[in-house]
Amino acid sequence: MSARIERPALPPAVQQEWRGETYHGRPVTKASSFDWKVSFYIVAVGIAGASQVIAAIANRQPEGAGLTRRARLLALAGSAIGPLVLVQHLKTRSRWYNMLRIFRPTSPMSMGSWLLTLFGGLSALTAMGEVLGRRWPFARRVSDAAQLPAAVTGAGMGVYTAGLLASTSTPLWAAAPAPLAAQFGTASVAGAASALALLQRAAGEVGSARRLETLALLAGAAELLAAGTTEKRLADKGLDGPLREGKTGALNATGGKAIGIAVPLVAHGIGRVIGGRAGALLPEIASFAMILGGAAMRHAVLRAGNESACRPDHAFRSTQRVRR
Amino acid sequence: MDGGLAHGRAREAGRAPPALLRDEAELTAGVVIEPGRSYGFLTDTTLCIGCKACEVACKEWNNLPAETGKLTGHSYDNTGQLGANTWRHVTFKENGPREGTMAPFQSNWLMMSDVCKHCDPAPCLEACPTGALFRTEFDTVVVQQDICNGCGYCVPACPFGVVELSKDDGKAHKCTLCYDRLKGGLEPACAKSCPTDSIQFGVVEELQERADRRVEALHAQGQDKAYVYGAPGSPGATGGIRKLNAIFVLAERPEHYNLPPAPSRPARNAKPAFLSGLATMAGLAAVALLLGVGRR
Repeated sequence: MSARIERPALPPAVQQEWRGETYHGRPVTKASSFDWKVSFYIVAVGIAGASQVIAAIANRQPEGAGLTRRARLLALAGSAIGPLVLVQHLKTRSRWYNMLRIFRPTSPMSMGSWLLTLFGGLSALTAMGEVLGRRWPFARRVSDAAQLPAAVTGAGMGVYTAGLLASTSTPLWAAAPAPLAAQFGTASVAGAASALALLQRAAGEVGSARRLETLALLAGAAELLAAGTTEKRLADKGLDGPLREGKTGALNATGGKAIGIAVPLVAHGIGRVIGGRAGALLPEIASFAMILGGAAMRHAVLRAGNESACRPDHAFRSTQRVRR
Repeated sequence: MDGGLAHGRAREAGRAPPALLRDEAELTAGVVIEPGRSYGFLTDTTLCIGCKACEVACKEWNNLPAETGKLTGHSYDNTGQLGANTWRHVTFKENGPREGTMAPFQSNWLMMSDVCKHCDPAPCLEACPTGALFRTEFDTVVVQQDICNGCGYCVPACPFGVVELSKDDGKAHKCTLCYDRLKGGLEPACAKSCPTDSIQFGVVEELQERADRRVEALHAQGQDKAYVYGAPGSPGATGGIRKLNAIFVLAERPEHYNLPPAPSRPARNAKPAFLSGLATMAGLAAVALLLGVGRR
């Protein structure tokens, strides 16, 4: 980055370096009211969004009809359940529709509301072809036309939630916008690929499930890299505490990394070596673990941010220098 | 004769108080309130005596419930923080005996009446998805209570921890810079009640000049630590925040007053996040293509 970084202009008589002073140790910023409902939404629409990306790719394959169908229905389910849970988080729920009252490009929540509306509509269109396609061939053509925009908005759904958290004054969320978005995006793809792998196995399409499991593992490996970058940046800025300590730290390490990435890696590895019936349950366990781990990671980041907002040292550490 | 109502600047202009106080602010603050100009506060902490009249006046005028608080043990500050029901908050910090030749008769109190900064641009407003937060004709930032749906995104957006969701009604609340009073030609309640003129109301550009003059005067008097917080180019107006409409004269590092030295506009983080996120999704889509996802 070529940003000019300098100290704000204080008179020479004032002590120039911050030596850890706070106002009675009181918080500077206020923590968000975001709770598990928001985490659930992030996970649900992340899986739904990445499902549409997978649907668009599967739809190009002549043998991809089954996967396309399941991915489209999964996307519709996620884009319906996610917002229903999210609305419960509003403190004045009856006014949820005010989210579509204006269009505000500076607000990731406003843009996200419109993106969700668009994505939900497109997902309904793609699912319509799957439901009505046999009796009404035109519906299938509408679905296929809606597939590319559904995938593009779906990609947005998988990552915009990270941009939403990063665009706040909560030090931990704002510290590493780019790696955090990569983390959320990879987790969305890993979650969708795992969920679809489970559905493909249930439908008996084992070969297709294997490809999805490989995709999930590669996404998981990329997630590990992204998480490492995020955590390195947090550590460099002295903001890594909440994501390492206590219950949230355990959720991040055990839930996000061990269950979300290590367990699937080992389970898939052993499953492929053993093969056959002996390893039949292992891929399923791996896929479940991956979905759970992605959810744990997102919830850990959410909780750690709320904790970070309550720490005055975090607020002051991240506002010592001017970024132009 | 004028009952102490007339402001010095109004008296100098030789204007007698009219029978009907149509532009009361002209008498009490020396400023006529007209839509289209920027209004704000200059809070001069070197004049604050910690009386909390501003806190009381704010609660009285805005009909805000009292904090049924506890004793915090943080000097004389039992209010704690700005919040849904507290739109002025006097901070107290005792920094030990004074330096210099003066006898250490007090504990070197730093007092400051904190308030919403009505930032330009305002992070809370930029975050608000409903348009409940808007910029008024007086260049102040106000939450429209009939529109807010309590999503709470403005709360972590604020770099100063000002906005809060009310547990009573589930809406975001903060200082309105007495929008209703401004409409009626009155200066905000806190500024009017301040007995030492530590809180001054006026046109932002004039307040900035006044703050610069005050800092010069303080330096001449030997208080060489004084500086302005929130005017363009000074601490507080940084990282994409052009200016604060509520500026401060401080005499210690900002942290002593619970103010961040270099806050920034959080909306700036959206672009790198989206670019990186979409690149990630595109990359993984390419991987999925290469893996032949969809084939049997």
